[in-house]
Amino acid sequence: MSDRSQLIETGTPFTFDAQRDAEFERLVKRYPTRESMILPSLWLVQEQEGWISAEAMAYIADRIGTFASKVFEAATFYTMYNLRPMGKYHICVCRTLSCYLLGKQEIVDFLNREIGIKPGEVSSDKMFSLEEVECLGHCGSAPVVQVNGEFYENMDVEKLKELLATLN
Amino acid sequence: MEVKILSAKFDIEGAHNIEVAKEHGAYATLDKLFTMDPAEVTTIVKDSGLRGRGGAGFPAGLKWSFLPKDLDKPVYLCVNSDESEPATFKDRYILVRDPHMLIEGIIICCYAINCQDTYIYIRGEYTSQVKILQAAIDEAYAAGYLGEKACGQDFRIDVTVHRGAGAYVCGEETALLESIEGKKGQPRSKPPFPAVEGLYGCPTIINNVQTIASLPFILAQGADAYKAHGTEKSSGTHLFGISGLVQKPGMYELPLGLPLLEVLDKVAGGLREGRTLKGVIPGGSSTPVLTPEEAQTVTLDYESMAEHNTMFGSGGIVVLDDTVDIVKLVENLIYFYHHESCGQCTPCREGLGWMLKIVKKIIRGEGSTKDIDLLLELCDNIEMKTVCVLSAACTMPVRSYLNKFRHEFEAYVAGGASSQSAM
Amino acid sequence: MAEKIKLFVNGQEVEVESGKNLVDAIGAVGIEIPHLCYHPALGADGNCRMCLVGIEDGRPPLVPACKTRAVEGMKVQLDTDKIRKIQRDVMEFELVNHPVDCPVCDQAGECKLQDYYMQYDGQKSRMSVPQVRKAKHLDFGCGVIHDQERCILCARCVRFTRMITKTGELGIVNRTDYARVTIFPGRPLANRYALNVVDLCPVGAMTSQDFRFKQRAWFLTKSKSICHGCAKGCNIFIDHNREKYKDDIIYRFRPRLNEQINGYFMCDEGRMSYKLENEQRLTKPVLNGKVADFGTTVEGIRRALSQAQKMLFVVSPNCSLEEMRAIQQFAASQNATLSGYSDGYIKQGDGDDYLIQDDKSANRAGLELLGIDSSKTGFETAVAEADLLISFQNDLTRTLGAEACNQLKERMVLISIGSHEDSLTQMAAIMLPVASYSEKDGTIVNADRILQRYAVAVEKNAPPVTLIQAVAQLGGEITSLESAWDDLNTVVAGLNKVDFAQIPEQGLALTDSEVSNVAA
Repeated sequence: MSDRSQLIETGTPFTFDAQRDAEFERLVKRYPTRESMILPSLWLVQEQEGWISAEAMAYIADRIGTFASKVFEAATFYTMYNLRPMGKYHICVCRTLSCYLLGKQEIVDFLNREIGIKPGEVSSDKMFSLEEVECLGHCGSAPVVQVNGEFYENMDVEKLKELLATLN
Repeated sequence: MEVKILSAKFDIEGAHNIEVAKEHGAYATLDKLFTMDPAEVTTIVKDSGLRGRGGAGFPAGLKWSFLPKDLDKPVYLCVNSDESEPATFKDRYILVRDPHMLIEGIIICCYAINCQDTYIYIRGEYTSQVKILQAAIDEAYAAGYLGEKACGQDFRIDVTVHRGAGAYVCGEETALLESIEGKKGQPRSKPPFPAVEGLYGCPTIINNVQTIASLPFILAQGADAYKAHGTEKSSGTHLFGISGLVQKPGMYELPLGLPLLEVLDKVAGGLREGRTLKGVIPGGSSTPVLTPEEAQTVTLDYESMAEHNTMFGSGGIVVLDDTVDIVKLVENLIYFYHHESCGQCTPCREGLGWMLKIVKKIIRGEGSTKDIDLLLELCDNIEMKTVCVLSAACTMPVRSYLNKFRHEFEAYVAGGASSQSAM
Repeated sequence: MAEKIKLFVNGQEVEVESGKNLVDAIGAVGIEIPHLCYHPALGADGNCRMCLVGIEDGRPPLVPACKTRAVEGMKVQLDTDKIRKIQRDVMEFELVNHPVDCPVCDQAGECKLQDYYMQYDGQKSRMSVPQVRKAKHLDFGCGVIHDQERCILCARCVRFTRMITKTGELGIVNRTDYARVTIFPGRPLANRYALNVVDLCPVGAMTSQDFRFKQRAWFLTKSKSICHGCAKGCNIFIDHNREKYKDDIIYRFRPRLNEQINGYFMCDEGRMSYKLENEQRLTKPVLNGKVADFGTTVEGIRRALSQAQKMLFVVSPNCSLEEMRAIQQFAASQNATLSGYSDGYIKQGDGDDYLIQDDKSANRAGLELLGIDSSKTGFETAVAEADLLISFQNDLTRTLGAEACNQLKERMVLISIGSHEDSLTQMAAIMLPVASYSEKDGTIVNADRILQRYAVAVEKNAPPVTLIQAVAQLGGEITSLESAWDDLNTVVAGLNKVDFAQIPEQGLALTDSEVSNVAA
């Protein structure tokens, strides 16, 4: 965890595209209170934009009819919400327990060498971002790496090389 | 040693599709279900001895019976699929390989507790898994198992998937409720318990995925058939996740009560070549570690674990061999719990970060014996002083490492940074 | 009265009110359970863990007192080694990442962390690793400055904006020890009660831009009073100090608990109205454009009165009941018409459904109680004939406008007896300065017809003459509060049963049946 409270403003108002708008309207009927839409809405923004700006949070707050501070709280509490633009390929390396025991550090070190970024950084060409994350629930096939949501299990440096070769 | 009750369809190609699942018996219990009185269903579940498979092991049927009887509010069912305890990955198999078993279980539970709205809270990290689950739910709606006239009955069942977004604490049932309500996942003080005042202030049952998924078998085969597996007090089977430094890590369905070391040897292939056992984490990262000596006598059930001053937990077993640096492992664990502390209660919020910095200081070779003692004292000072047990989930195992492997901490203190490579 | 129940605290039987939580129930009989996040107006949150108490034979045996209802026969343990250790431990956790910058912190002297450290902790810091760093001096708007490092994350401020003002500007973002209170970018505090978060904050995390670095809390004298900013009559503390070689100055107002009036809070406008008590004060009498001494000016007024044909006295809706009665009595003796016309003190639509009233005067109900005509027509009829007008603290320019008052000045003798320099005093031929409410005693009746008494708070180096004394010097019969009440008890039916000396601290509700106009 680091401080996630420094939001980025794009300078332009946010709005859902037609697809997310429809999804919002579908989901909102599923909950007895509109505030329940805070997490799903943040996901919709992230699907649409890849990350969540201050304007998007304000949009969600106003659309739901709640305080922007509540959306801000949720967006910073849940660490999967990207609060800044990530690389085209967002690589998450599990750092916890079983993945730790089975060599997640070698994977992080390798990625550091190969793509030149440390956990928490985005490569200058915006192709990659790297993050160490907590347990991904794939302990039986550790170590595990997630790229744009897809899981890659039983990873080692060799497999990682092959994977990186496909990411372009 | 393995049995196939919950995992019966796991190896069937395409069993996440409703047609394949139905060919192999999915939704077959429903005809029987609707001939029964809801109270009868609860009784069968009680009789089966099914205990909550999320980690606490609370009897499932008993939990349901805490719902107030004369209700003027809706009842909610929340299926806990947050599965975020390190070393736990069992529910993922159900979500991906047999989601219709879960949906069938939800229908059974909804009928038993008279619930119309179910929320499946799935951890945000399960990105591809949530798609499979949602597709299965959509199939169930299309087939009429869910919706306005669910299963052809005069009974509505709606199932909504609610995605978390990276917060371990949301596996705690009241944090999960807060999260569905759109808030930060900060656990609530109890009482009131969710069965009385839960989601949106209404009576709510929160059950783990595996618990709910066990219901079709129990209903179909009866309580006795379920109790035929396991021990008297820990009945049935469990999806054990075995990971760490073993030959064949993975998910294995086993009856409760088997000897731990035998399982590690025969099921998980034993230790890697030339290695010796240093310890076993028996039920997820929050359970106190067992030494090789303790591991020799423990069996995989709630009672034996308690006798060994640890917990069955989520059944996520992690094997530690002689290559493991316990001090760095502890750093890894405290890092996790500090990272995941919701930040609500003072002792957990301030204490875990303090503990992490002390361990780092020890690893840097700047620590003293006093720091080891301080860590131990902080475990006591934090534990059970907070709204939820997240802090205890850290302090209980950390204390066990400090007590059982103190010499490793002392070596760092004595040797300084030069003798150890900092990670 | 609430039902009483008996329970045990540290083995000793105590009788407490039922239905309350342990902090309040036991606190009411003088036994403190330390707490940081709990506040009676904001409910129990349970995050600080400072109020954990033992319950003998309880399940569970350790509970947060703020979340636990007092129950008959309960055995509460506060003085056990276990509980004392928990209190010490929680304090240690509160302080590990706290900057302990008390020497430069405005909260010093009224800080719960300081108090509890002395009372429940007292041990040396065992923190030998770097602290968490956060942001300082954040401008949250509305004059509220926040220090994230001093903050203990009790969430009182957050709950205030969500539960009381329902504006929700504040939130706690992040989690673990990175958690911090903040505002959403571009949406700062924007409510009329925002400064209450400064009082609510148990530590020095929320400070007032206006007050910070002005005074150390322990130098301030905290005097009870009533805010005169509007017709609500919020109970306040006037915090003032007479520094060496200086005069007694007010540094801040703070709300004072009164359940039937303002609860724990007050509005920012009222809070900042302390400045009016310090500033633009009239100190020197003026007679025909020249500064004169008080006695000479009084003589001047008397002379003007004796020469006038038709006199109109205008009384302020901010005057106390006693002053109103003194003026009323004096007007009758002088055969002067008395008006309370002061529509300009009402800001239509400005009030809310909480504390702020449209009526920006403190005692309009007093005018009604005494049967003083406040109508526009009454005033217009009287002023048309008058050749002399005395304003008793009533700034008529607020009601009539400056131009109309200037015209009045041309055709009659305009006299102003007041505490503050305003547009009218500048026009007056004769001006007599008197005390303002922080410098005198009196009673007022608020918009809900609650009678409240206030007393002298500030003692100026040169104490100003009170309005009652001034009226007496002009020839009025009433010379003191006591003599005013002898009168009020007889002539105001609604007040005939009121014992001035016995007005309770929380005020006296005057029922409608008691309120009827003066007979004479």
